[in-house]
Amino acid sequence: MAKAQINPEKARWLEVLGIAMPLCLSYIPIGLACGILLHAAGFNFIMTLVVSIVVFSGGAQFILASLLTIHAPLTSIFMTLFFLELRYALLGSSLSKYIKNESQHFIWLFAVSMNDENYAVNYLKFATDKKWTPKDGLLVEHYSLISWSVANMVGGLIGSTISINLEVVDFALTALFLYMVVMQVRNHLTLLICLLSAVLAVFFLVLTKSTLGIVIATLIASFIGFLIENTVRKHSKDPDSNWFLTKLFRPMATRITVEDQQERRELKKVKQQLDADREQTPSEHDD
Amino acid sequence: MEQLFSNLPLLISDSGNSKTLYHIIVIIFAAFAAFIPRYFPILFFSTRKIPEWFNEWMKYVPVSLFTALIVKGIFVTTAGYHFVPFGHVEQILAALVVMVVAYFTRSMAISVVGGLVAVWLLSMVI
Repeated sequence: MAKAQINPEKARWLEVLGIAMPLCLSYIPIGLACGILLHAAGFNFIMTLVVSIVVFSGGAQFILASLLTIHAPLTSIFMTLFFLELRYALLGSSLSKYIKNESQHFIWLFAVSMNDENYAVNYLKFATDKKWTPKDGLLVEHYSLISWSVANMVGGLIGSTISINLEVVDFALTALFLYMVVMQVRNHLTLLICLLSAVLAVFFLVLTKSTLGIVIATLIASFIGFLIENTVRKHSKDPDSNWFLTKLFRPMATRITVEDQQERRELKKVKQQLDADREQTPSEHDD
Repeated sequence: MEQLFSNLPLLISDSGNSKTLYHIIVIIFAAFAAFIPRYFPILFFSTRKIPEWFNEWMKYVPVSLFTALIVKGIFVTTAGYHFVPFGHVEQILAALVVMVVAYFTRSMAISVVGGLVAVWLLSMVI
């Protein structure tokens, strides 16, 4: 932090790289695996590189590889990928308020290189770090894109010469999402929404037999969360001490969120005002 | 539209000389499938005034989405979308490890690496 203040321009890209590093590293084994699968499906390494840049989604590329090996028609390839990628509509909508003031070109760039994992990093930073700018967000996206596409290309080059345990590799992303959820569960309500979303996800995934189930489960669970919070805030006299919105116990190292900072600032203001009032009162008596 | 799509593989076969051409067309289709849901919602909502209730709703999207993705990874099979509550016991246990590590260290890197080591070790035991 001290470094950034001394030389903010120079250190920023390095600082952002440090934030994106865990993500970039966990992309390497998955990207390799994906490249190997695409190679097995008949793609040469240049095609693999191109597809990893334009699609930039682990899940979609794995499915694309399996659809190519079973010679699926183009229509079903397109439809499957489209429904698979539909969840990005949700990601984009929830980030849009942070990049509102950017140019059209920036929004386009930001949208095309967004995916689940760098969204997760960016959302956390936007929500907890006041200094996080859209440019930093774009930088995270580009770092992850570079590591993803290079890993894919290398996977395409080495082809079938090495074998990777897919289940172990796949768990890197699950672990990343688990970390994100643990970071975001702050009160009883978010915990409840997590459980609800888990149940709904299983139900709709089995029902729809596609990742559309994830989109439906997310929409319903998040909407119920919104409804409960809204109702509590409307009808409770002291909403913050309501069971739903009470903060969960966290270890001492708890990250201070933007909301916490705001709360503190407001408290400080009120205190200062009280102090000022107190100072004024005796002086009035003197007159 | 439907017919146009279904005739394409006949014109450009996925075997023989035009294999590369077929792959290029697949990539173009895939690129559109990836681009449309990414770009248009973000464009729509960042060029308009967003109503407050929508922002409040979107606040709960990340947790719900991440949980759904975790559940899909651990409890639902990739092929056929079957619910397997104890299909990946090593992943369930490793997930608990990740949660504990994430809770106490608050570090993404340690959580992910710890999870990978845990699932690797457990997959050899189980």
